Amino acid sequence: MSQLVLLDNEAVQALGDPAHPKHHRVVSHAQIVASRKRRAAEIELAVPTTVRVEAGWDRTSSSRAFANRLRITDMPLDAASANVGAIIRKRTGVSVPDAHLGAVIQSAPADRITVVTSDPDDMRLVAGDATITIVTI
Amino acid sequence: MAFLPTPFDLERPAGTFPVSAVRTTGMWYIADIRKPRAIEQISRLLDSPVLETSNTSMRIPTALRDAAALAVKELGVAPSATALTAAALRTTLEAVVMQAALDDHYERHPEARPSLGDLALAAAELDGNPLANEPEHLRRAADEIVEKHPDASADDVLLWAEARAIPAA
Repeated sequence: MSQLVLLDNEAVQALGDPAHPKHHRVVSHAQIVASRKRRAAEIELAVPTTVRVEAGWDRTSSSRAFANRLRITDMPLDAASANVGAIIRKRTGVSVPDAHLGAVIQSAPADRITVVTSDPDDMRLVAGDATITIVTI
Repeated sequence: MAFLPTPFDLERPAGTFPVSAVRTTGMWYIADIRKPRAIEQISRLLDSPVLETSNTSMRIPTALRDAAALAVKELGVAPSATALTAAALRTTLEAVVMQAALDDHYERHPEARPSLGDLALAAAELDGNPLANEPEHLRRAADEIVEKHPDASADDVLLWAEARAIPAA
């Protein structure tokens, strides 16, 4: 069974800053993903690129070295995602990054989708009919 | 000018350095940068386009080669034995890089290292396991299991906690 673990803005910020109060929790989630990958589980950490913009995560910046090394996949805002995201944003009024997260959730082929977020209500809103697991940080 | 290791340099036995590095930097510096740079370089290589391929003289056990060929032909697990091997190698390297990055982070920030209880809770959360709502139960289970199994994993703790939650018949 494949699993996609998506990070929202605060999860990205917490991961990148050891002084962030939620750093320890998000590192724990990353450690679980790493351990399961080691056992050949089909599991992936990912971040929509607009979430990365919102969180100020520049992959060329040395200040983000730790997050850069964690093999977190970029989910780009391509034409198809932009269309779905636009519909979500119009329907719910959420931010562009959250609408992009919704587009990823609704189109990802993974068997299980988990979102690590500080805003569970918005994630339920953007997920639509998709079944997701929400980890509230 | 900073010392940038080539793949050859990264294979160099520990304790030996390119002449230029010895001239311009201290050994402490080499030791400090070697692992993070290796992680970064492996990561960059994993991100490289997969269109370019190389023949390799890598030797693998004959039985493993035959098992892979059979899995491709009869089970359809991959388009070819080469694709199967490459995918398995990529998965392993991705896991190795990720764990190396985490280990390096724990060395720099020991307070960031999660306990087994923290990891069991994180595993339950990622899986949507109802035990995620009982963090103290999971932490107790982690404390109990490490007494007999010091190498227990977070998933072992989850299984143990679930088993304990089943009422006796």
